[in-house]
Amino acid sequence: MRLPSLAIAALGAALVAGPTIGAGTARAQLKVVTSTTDLYDIAKAVGGEKITATHIGEGYQDPHFIEAKPSFVLQLRNADVWAFVGLDLEIGWMPLLLQGARNPKLQPGQPGYVDASRVISVLDVARGNVDRSQGDVHPLGNPHYWLDPENGRRIAKLFQETFATLDAKNVSVYDANAKAFTQRLDAAERTWQADLAKIKGQPVVAWHTSWRYFAEYTGMNIVGFMEPKPGVPPSPAHLAGLIQTMKQAGAKVIIMEPFYDKKTADFVAGKTGAKVLVLAPSVGGAKGLDDYIRLMTSGIQQLAAAL
Amino acid sequence: MSRTSAHDARASGIRAMLWGAFVILVIASAPASAQRDTTRRDTTTKRTASDSARIADSIAVVRELERLRAEPRSRDPGRQQPAQGAPTNARLLPDISAVGDLVADLSPKGSTQEGGERFSVREVEVAIQAAVDPYFRGDVFFGISDVEKISIEQAYLTATSLPWGLEVRLGRYLMPVGKQNTTHRHDLHTVDYPYVIQRFLDPEGLKGTGIYASKIFAPFGFYQELMLTAVDRFGEPTEGLVTIEPVNKKLSGLGYSARLRNYWDLSQASNIELSFSAITGDREQPVLGGDPTLGTAARQSVFGTDFTYRWRPLQQGLYKSFILQAELLQQVNAKNPTLELPSGVPPDGLVYGGPTRNFTGGYAFARYQLTRRGYVGARFDSFQDEAAGGSATNAVSGYLEFFPSEFSKLMVGYERYAPAEGSTTNRILLQATFALGPHKPHPF
Repeated sequence: MRLPSLAIAALGAALVAGPTIGAGTARAQLKVVTSTTDLYDIAKAVGGEKITATHIGEGYQDPHFIEAKPSFVLQLRNADVWAFVGLDLEIGWMPLLLQGARNPKLQPGQPGYVDASRVISVLDVARGNVDRSQGDVHPLGNPHYWLDPENGRRIAKLFQETFATLDAKNVSVYDANAKAFTQRLDAAERTWQADLAKIKGQPVVAWHTSWRYFAEYTGMNIVGFMEPKPGVPPSPAHLAGLIQTMKQAGAKVIIMEPFYDKKTADFVAGKTGAKVLVLAPSVGGAKGLDDYIRLMTSGIQQLAAAL
Repeated sequence: MSRTSAHDARASGIRAMLWGAFVILVIASAPASAQRDTTRRDTTTKRTASDSARIADSIAVVRELERLRAEPRSRDPGRQQPAQGAPTNARLLPDISAVGDLVADLSPKGSTQEGGERFSVREVEVAIQAAVDPYFRGDVFFGISDVEKISIEQAYLTATSLPWGLEVRLGRYLMPVGKQNTTHRHDLHTVDYPYVIQRFLDPEGLKGTGIYASKIFAPFGFYQELMLTAVDRFGEPTEGLVTIEPVNKKLSGLGYSARLRNYWDLSQASNIELSFSAITGDREQPVLGGDPTLGTAARQSVFGTDFTYRWRPLQQGLYKSFILQAELLQQVNAKNPTLELPSGVPPDGLVYGGPTRNFTGGYAFARYQLTRRGYVGARFDSFQDEAAGGSATNAVSGYLEFFPSEFSKLMVGYERYAPAEGSTTNRILLQATFALGPHKPHPF
């Protein structure tokens, strides 16, 4: 057999083998993959036993810098739903995974392509000229919106609509689950009121802009960021200015995620008498924070206790 | 080959290509008819889309979107903010980006760069990328350099709607042969490709123009991907050599490659990849004893395996990571190729001047992350040099990389290059790269 025939035969074999190797068997459950653990938890709450869900990122991992590992491609290639935060949070890795997965159900415009940011009231949408001299900006807006429970409700509603579209026979289940989730969140929210009153108006410093929605909800006043610009590590000159700002504003707490270098925050805290509060930004970001409501509850309680 | 049989072979080749193109179109169009109704959207999107259609004026659309964006924020969960339902690229512009690759060569015995420069803009790469339609995606990369002026580095159409997890590309692309060859040169963690890639494939990374098909599968529970290509030819034409007929005149003279990737997660923080590649095709080789431009076609193949281990703890992933990578390639040459000479040229005294033995080479590379933005790396290269009768050329190099951000890189490298023949050379290289335009995914 000559070479062209070999190549054509190999291509043909790949084509013929396609249906047997690549095709999955019919599933009763919707297969949902989410970019973050927060979306995963809300999807599970709404989908219940009618879906199987997995997530790409972990709660203690910086969601901007997830590696596009081939094993994630395997998760996506047979998925029915790909839900992501959007606003370019996943821009550094999501395109590789979606292109690699070759799953027509997850292409933009399909019901399985779920950009959760489209139901969110977005903060920090860029105005005027935007360029990278301003750091790693997100021109479409701040993507860390899940840290406002109002947005948790909206995400749940989005999942309810999405699952109902893709799996009409279980509409009532999704409706009931979404309602139950909202009720649990409402109940939790009522227990936060004393802590929220304590937090409201208090000056704090945050490492990254990821706490903007949390601040919007709790009323805490972010007087400065450890990063001089989004995504840019702190410089000595910036920290010197930040220390002055903290002293003037009376900021007593520095909030940071577990994936940043705590030594730098400790240094600033040592100069200002503030406390470094390592808060999980996502579900699973710390031990015991296994669901969205626990995540929010923990963040509010820890902050109130630190102030 | 007689004129008739050559004509038959050509006609047969054309028929085969036409059938191949037909099969691809049929496969690509099959899911097209089965596309879901994409008109289903939320209320706001529907409203914006219908308004846009009525306005039918792109300037007016942009103004409308700006007005919608300016609407105040509402906390009413039932009301979606129009800004998030609006398109972010109302004019459907493609992503346009550019990467600059600047190199300084401060080697003590003179520049080791192709053009002898001490400071050079080695290349500027301009990329234009977008979805073409619901079925295809287009990617075009132009390379601009003082040496090659403007060239089409890559330009390919990718079918995005094929069934069974297939991906098919048509056009020019980096050949999926070996590990580092699939990475753009400016994305490498060293200044140049490993020597074995430069010598056995191409100094700037082997590209091919043709058809590419790949399929992902996991019958054993881990990621596997098979990539097959058929390209116009294996490598660039050899300058200064003329063959009686193009090396790709027969279909057997085209370039064919295959690569099988195998990937395993060892843990959340570590993984390995072990892959195998092969490429074969006819290439021009010199004929000695006559006209120095006289060449003949001879088959050359390269077989290889590559291994990559990665470690990056998830929580400390901003600050710590490690990569260990190695590739081994073997170049296999025809032992007794037939001289294909022009009619009227007597074969007396003419001998085949190309390689008739096999050559082996490889490299090992490691990189450790020192800080959030700093890395240290080292590479060891060794290959059997055809120019030195197969004796080994070795090189060892070290690199310090600093990334001010994801979009810029500064690197300093030192290399000790010990050729099979000649004196050892010390190279000192500086490199700066920068990226303009949309955020590109980080290559894995």
